[in-house]
Amino acid sequence: MNAQKKYGMSIDVDRCTGCGSCMVACAVENNIPPAHAGANDRNGLTWIRVYKVDNGEDYPGKRSAFIPVLCQQCGEHTPCASVCPQQAVDVDPRTGIVGQMPERCLGCRYCMAACPYHARYFNWWDPRWPAGMEKTLNPDVAPRMRGVVEKCNFCHGRWHAAKQKAAAAGKSEIEPGDYVPACVEACPTGAIRFGDLNDPSNDLRHPDSFRLLKKLGTDPKIYYRSKRDWVRNVAQASRPVSSQKEASHG
Amino acid sequence: MRGKIIFLAGLAAALGAGWAGFPYAIYTSRPQPVDFSHKVHADKAGAKCEDCHAFRDDGTFAGIPTLDKCAGCHAAAMGTTAAEENFIDQYVTPQREPPWASYARQPENVFFSHAAHVKLGNVKCESCHGALGASDKLPRYRQDRISGYSRLGMSMTDCIACHRQQARADSCLDCHK
Amino acid sequence: MTTTRRDIFKFAGGSALGALLTPAPWRLITDTALWSENWPGIPRPARGEIRAKFTHCSLCPAGCAVRARCVGEQPVSLAGVRGGLCPFGVTGHQLPYHPARLRQGPVSEAMAAVADAIAKCGPGERVAVLDLRPGRTASWTARRAMAVLKNGWYIAPVQSPVAVDLTKARTVLSLSAPLLERWGTPANVFAVRDGFRLIQADPVESRTAALADLWLPIRPGSEEALALGLAGQLTSAETAAMTGLSEHQIESVGQTIGFGRLSLVIDRAMSPAVVALNVKLGGWGRTIVPRAEAPVPPEWKKAAPVTDLATVPDRSIRVLLIDESAPGEYLPWDAIEKKLAAGNPLVVVFAWSANGYGRYAKYVLPTPVYPEATDDIPPAIDSPAPCFRIAAPLLAAPAGVVTPSEFIASLAGLPPADALRERARAIHQGGRGTLVTYADAKSVPVKEVKPDDFWKALNAGGCWVGQALPPANFRAPVGQALPPANPSQGLVVLATPPAPSPASPLFTKLYQESDLLLAPNCIALHPQDAARCGVSAGNRATLETPNGKWSVRILTDSSVRPGVVLAARPEMASASGKVVRV
Repeated sequence: MNAQKKYGMSIDVDRCTGCGSCMVACAVENNIPPAHAGANDRNGLTWIRVYKVDNGEDYPGKRSAFIPVLCQQCGEHTPCASVCPQQAVDVDPRTGIVGQMPERCLGCRYCMAACPYHARYFNWWDPRWPAGMEKTLNPDVAPRMRGVVEKCNFCHGRWHAAKQKAAAAGKSEIEPGDYVPACVEACPTGAIRFGDLNDPSNDLRHPDSFRLLKKLGTDPKIYYRSKRDWVRNVAQASRPVSSQKEASHG
Repeated sequence: MRGKIIFLAGLAAALGAGWAGFPYAIYTSRPQPVDFSHKVHADKAGAKCEDCHAFRDDGTFAGIPTLDKCAGCHAAAMGTTAAEENFIDQYVTPQREPPWASYARQPENVFFSHAAHVKLGNVKCESCHGALGASDKLPRYRQDRISGYSRLGMSMTDCIACHRQQARADSCLDCHK
Repeated sequence: MTTTRRDIFKFAGGSALGALLTPAPWRLITDTALWSENWPGIPRPARGEIRAKFTHCSLCPAGCAVRARCVGEQPVSLAGVRGGLCPFGVTGHQLPYHPARLRQGPVSEAMAAVADAIAKCGPGERVAVLDLRPGRTASWTARRAMAVLKNGWYIAPVQSPVAVDLTKARTVLSLSAPLLERWGTPANVFAVRDGFRLIQADPVESRTAALADLWLPIRPGSEEALALGLAGQLTSAETAAMTGLSEHQIESVGQTIGFGRLSLVIDRAMSPAVVALNVKLGGWGRTIVPRAEAPVPPEWKKAAPVTDLATVPDRSIRVLLIDESAPGEYLPWDAIEKKLAAGNPLVVVFAWSANGYGRYAKYVLPTPVYPEATDDIPPAIDSPAPCFRIAAPLLAAPAGVVTPSEFIASLAGLPPADALRERARAIHQGGRGTLVTYADAKSVPVKEVKPDDFWKALNAGGCWVGQALPPANFRAPVGQALPPANPSQGLVVLATPPAPSPASPLFTKLYQESDLLLAPNCIALHPQDAARCGVSAGNRATLETPNGKWSVRILTDSSVRPGVVLAARPEMASASGKVVRV
């Protein structure tokens, strides 16, 4: 039997430049369509989203940081799994991954209300790609229809491919290097790292690490690092602080 | 009395239509584009399943072979049947892929790994695909008129039944994508 | 017996009960559910054999090595070979399907018009090619073509005369160079980031400034003054006055980067003042080296020289061909426009969309777009060694497009189609350097590779890497002391670093479905400046600069330097902008 794995990530906020490679790489890998004309940052599909936060000061005292937020793969009392009336959320004990099943979802969005990280996204519109761009869709991930919720599942299509490659060689354990989520692969600074939290040989759980909204007791598997105290303070706040203001979204 | 008979007649008619007529009416059927005989290829060509339905290096399964596999032998007629002549005329010569209908085709959101089942699980081809490999004629492809799924395609309950029997833990994302 | 209505109801009742005992209704419910999940409008990804193909990304001068995951022949995702890719590189394979992508154009009409205009050129009138990414083999073809025409000129933006070696630097002082955001080759920069201390002098808190070890908030446009001040050509007091920093800060930076400390000073294009400062700091041959390019066949040397736009006499170009198929730095249109002859100059733009200079052109001719284009990418600014890498096409281009170098070459009667192969032959004959291939991660000296294999390897995404030039006698340019800058008459509009445009449709993730990037139609300014202009957050307004007017949406941000406006499009950059309420 396979050893229990607990896949998680370590995100170094001091290395993230906010370039957005992770966001578009995720969209490419998971067949997420470009925004509908009416979409904005409240109803878009961004399975991983980089938030810009700052220390709240004005020029020239302002310092910014970029924090990528994706599904935190909560371990304890996974909020979204416990509220779903359709059992469309499945926590795999062998990998620790919280899997979202759009094919079972009926679109009640209870899970979106339950998720404290706002990491779940609803398909408000039919997915539409510009003519011809559907040729670039990834065959390892199924496109979703309108009316269902979707979210990051640690690039499960790549896990399937790694398992299949191992099976072809007669092995039941995958090579760790074969399973790398798209955001991790795309990050040019190496800010996002991925691996098995149960494996003592990687230092994903660095002593400097903190987790978002730890006080809620969700036991997330995404560990953030920063040497800057103000970043750690902002990350633990209830709402991100930013000096950028804009009138209500249209 | 008469009323009861008419009621029972209605009952019988519905039962008959539902059990005997409906399973045929719900499906459309069409023949495969080429009258291919597995038996002939297994006997005369000595081919085993893996010769045409092979694994690639990365573990993916080639499924139904592409035209170049068939054209490897059938560039010219090897026998005298009309079916082979038809095949060469319509597909090999114009380099056109035959539009095979895959009996076992799964919906888009299903991930099935032949490598895991055949290489790790030692499941025989016949366990899921039945006697297709020994058949002389390919059965007609029957497709549900409403859902579009193949009649011979395995449903999730079939997979779960075997997995439970083998006591394999299963999580949704093992098989869904 | 007659059939009564009662009979019919009884029959129907019996049928209904019977139907419930058959599979029919349950099956129909399931099938309807399945049917409802499979709308015909949802595309199904194509299936096929998964292959890896290698190429180089030609979207910017970095030319990152790319591994494309292909289903059959179609790339479905891209990854960097040596690390990550920037977001443009990650989505490059979607550009051929961009809605703004041009597929047809009046090619033969344009060819006839250009030939006609060339024939009718008067004395003193020129035919010019403006090449936005010089140094490519296509650039050499254009230069050779212009040499054949009697009044042909080849114009390109000024390129840095040096390449930098970040691996040798212990301190990097960047004067508004976006080092951590599209300067040099991203994966290479981040691979060595931990090896140096980064000081960013920048008028805004750019992404590089946010992650630098120290940010010096200087006045916009005062980068050269800071370089001259650190080189001792301006006094501390003058430098402080021009940059807005304190004398103490300037002296402290001076000590940090001091002579012999393996410091590197960079700015966007390595201007003469910055190069001179590096030489003064002892960086010549270490942190900066002469910029080298891959060898060319000797007969190509009879090519037109590279002319800087600023030295072209005003109103002298009759026919201008702009190659925008491989963009690099942005040249403002007004700087180009004043070189055009008065009275009906002919401007032809080669681009894959009409969004750039196409709006000022008589003819816009469509070109192949990455990953369809076959082009080579000159060595990046952070590549001390010369290299030759081809952006091997992953897809076939549509039928109606034209390759700029073929068009330009045919004007002069040159056969261009084999230019890349001729150059590869010249490199191979030179016998120097190594061939790096990514599929097998091998590095082989060129001498051990046969010519045909060399060419094949380059077309499969391989790269030739030469040896860095030994530093020869290099007379350091003397930076001039600056005249005091005119106080800005308006707001200074600063743009984000140049980017491939248009970007993939998926970029809506970055500015519409989140606020990570400034949207192309938005500007950000300090609330005080906004109030002065009579606008507030969310309003629509017009941004006016000498280069044009744009309709924009306002964002206010108290962390933007007062007097500065941030914009996302390079054509909006200006030293004197106005924001007018609509």
